[in-house]
Amino acid sequence: MTNTMLGYQNKVLRIDLTKKGATFEPLRMDFARKYVGSKGLAIRYMYEELEPGIDPLGPENKLFLTTGPLTGTPVPCSGKLSVAAKSPATGTMNDCSIGGHVGIRLKFAGYDMAIFEGKLKEPGYVLIDNDRIRFMDATDLWGLGSHETESILAKKYGPEYSIMSIGPAGENLCVMSCINSDYYRQAGRGGIGAVMGSKNMKAIVIRGTGGVKVNDIVNTTNRIIEILREDVVTEDNDFIFHDGTTAFLEACNDGGILPWKNFSDTTDEKWTEYNGEVLKQYREGKRGCGSCGLGCGNFLKIGDAICEGPEYESISVAGPNAGIRDPEKIVKFNQVADDMGLDTISAGDTIIWAMEMTEKGIHDFGIKFGEADKMIEYLKLMAKNEGVGKDLALGTKRASEKYGGTEFAMQVKGLEYPQYEPRGSWAMSVSYAVSDRGACHMRSYAPNAEVFEASAPPYTGENKGQLVYDLAEFNAIKFSLCICDFWGTITYDIMAELLTRVTGVEWTTEQMAEIGRRVINIGRAFNQREGFDRKHDTVPKRVVTEALKSGPAKGQVIPQEVFDDMLTQYYNVMGWDENGLMPEELIASIL
Amino acid sequence: MEITITLRGTLKKLFGEDKERKVEVPEGCTCDEALQVAGINYREIPNFGFVAVNGMRVMIDDKLSPGDELKAWSRVSGG
Amino acid sequence: MKRLKFAKEKCIGCQLCAQVCSAMKEGEYIPSKARIAIETCYDNGNLKYMDHFCILCGMCAKACPVEAISIGEYIQVDEEKCIGCGACAEKCPKHVVQIRDEIAYICDTCKGDPTCVKTCPQNALTFE
Repeated sequence: MTNTMLGYQNKVLRIDLTKKGATFEPLRMDFARKYVGSKGLAIRYMYEELEPGIDPLGPENKLFLTTGPLTGTPVPCSGKLSVAAKSPATGTMNDCSIGGHVGIRLKFAGYDMAIFEGKLKEPGYVLIDNDRIRFMDATDLWGLGSHETESILAKKYGPEYSIMSIGPAGENLCVMSCINSDYYRQAGRGGIGAVMGSKNMKAIVIRGTGGVKVNDIVNTTNRIIEILREDVVTEDNDFIFHDGTTAFLEACNDGGILPWKNFSDTTDEKWTEYNGEVLKQYREGKRGCGSCGLGCGNFLKIGDAICEGPEYESISVAGPNAGIRDPEKIVKFNQVADDMGLDTISAGDTIIWAMEMTEKGIHDFGIKFGEADKMIEYLKLMAKNEGVGKDLALGTKRASEKYGGTEFAMQVKGLEYPQYEPRGSWAMSVSYAVSDRGACHMRSYAPNAEVFEASAPPYTGENKGQLVYDLAEFNAIKFSLCICDFWGTITYDIMAELLTRVTGVEWTTEQMAEIGRRVINIGRAFNQREGFDRKHDTVPKRVVTEALKSGPAKGQVIPQEVFDDMLTQYYNVMGWDENGLMPEELIASIL
Repeated sequence: MEITITLRGTLKKLFGEDKERKVEVPEGCTCDEALQVAGINYREIPNFGFVAVNGMRVMIDDKLSPGDELKAWSRVSGG
Repeated sequence: MKRLKFAKEKCIGCQLCAQVCSAMKEGEYIPSKARIAIETCYDNGNLKYMDHFCILCGMCAKACPVEAISIGEYIQVDEEKCIGCGACAEKCPKHVVQIRDEIAYICDTCKGDPTCVKTCPQNALTFE
């Protein structure tokens, strides 16, 4: 059934950290034919290899670095790498997507995938130099920030090597810890850093000088260049090079979904104090990922704060959502979070929850809205499990179960809310609820339809089950190719054409939709096996009881019955039962 | 009735030097119709985004009242 | 005579130049074998540009002891004459010359129609 497909290396690197050994094996081409690569392929492997019930911080969990057939080709926006494992934050599957250059280097090193199993006895890092694998001592690096770690390793090995590293947060097994690469790019969410930390793995260092073979390379390359010019680097996508994700600030503020003070309201009339125009003045350069065409990364220095970013999520959570308007503090928050190895979204959301708890007098965490310096300080305490950081490092779900304030603990399944207020985009409440790894905006991105292109009315539950599905299907297949989110105008036709040209095997437009659906289902199947069902697809009480007081969505609140109805609609579209469970035949059909 | 139209993002250039324009429109006309009076047909602009009236999110076929401020944004897309 | 020019403020470090070069010349996407190598990285808190591209300075041709390198509108290496001594590589100020299996590989601007320039998404690379 499966012909050999070009574009793939047909090689998986399996690393046994316990025994300090490495083996090569062929890629499961049958999985690849059904799931393509990156996100889909990673989840399929996880379903196959991770027994239900394992401890995400135990040695049976595995870390999967997964590329796709387009990785390491000039297909624009194809350079991202899937970083997946069972999540310590939620107990669900988790698939992160890291930019930078590590993804293409892993592919050029000759691998579709690298799987890390077991646990090192002592802190160490793994050095992958094409087909040479070495286990190195990291005792001197353990305890250092991610940035210092990367600097030391970069000095030792040179710019041909990509470095993925964790900071103190990952070492201390914080459920909000991330993995960094290229200093300022992350595999951010779900505690993926803690999976590395639990394996005593401080870093992964990768050099790849091999190549990727594709079908009919000269014609394929010429066609790719055509697509690059006609569909990617266009006036519509101009904002990505000029502004990066800061372009979302105005759209979200004026669209009614920019959160204010822990999602207690929306909109900040003073958003121009920290917006893209302000940040641009401090920009020193641009950077994109490998094989990018758009270059969203803004490298800037403001005061003593330095970072590539900050991205919309980080600006919002450390800005209006924290009651802060100082751009230097916002950038500093981003820098410190990156260095400590903390997800800005989850760590930020937890701190702003603590601000509300303190101001309401429910529990004194010693911080109020607007206290920017403290917010930055708290990142360090959380990463190091010190003082008030010990409680905050638990994340909003566990901390609110301990201290109260669950109604405004903005999370689903233990993963905190990204910076889009669902009362301004009702379908988003369901997107967050049903996302495969907890509240994530990168699965079904409702604001695209309900706000930015206004193709669906935002304040109704009508047809939203279908909308959530359509958006989820699109991202699921896109991230399995893997193509970055910013190529917003890509179509199933282009995806099928690129896959066909690169692999030399026919892929059709219809298959893109089928695979998207299958990827959603395999994520759900993994979680179902772990015991998840409808009662875990939740919405924070705030969203269904408190009406917004200001902004373009003033007065909006999502009635509980409307949320319940949208959720049921979605289950119907997926063919799942009333409890959100997949029938056995459906699970069997996707394996 | 008279309403004011402001364009944001990459739509701004459609009004040239003007920050905003006041236009005379029929009573009860929609945002779509008002924009057309100002020479803008949103269907022909691939990156046309969303609209708001007096700071509140509305849809393109929602009706306007005298003195309303209609704003239109270009589209961003992403995640 | 047209030469490659590089505007670093437009460069996003995507490495598409090296990928397409190697596709056209080596039949594979293998940047390590490309005749151009432009990359960026963060170094000591600064964005660093490593721009290795042929500027048609002709130092390689001057250095060649067996006159295997000719330079007109673009550089051509006579692979029959080339002895792989590496003198050209040593003298190249942009470090673009590659010596592999005793042959020198030097950018020939795809004979006056450089693919890297056609590809560079933000037009950091031009041919003028």
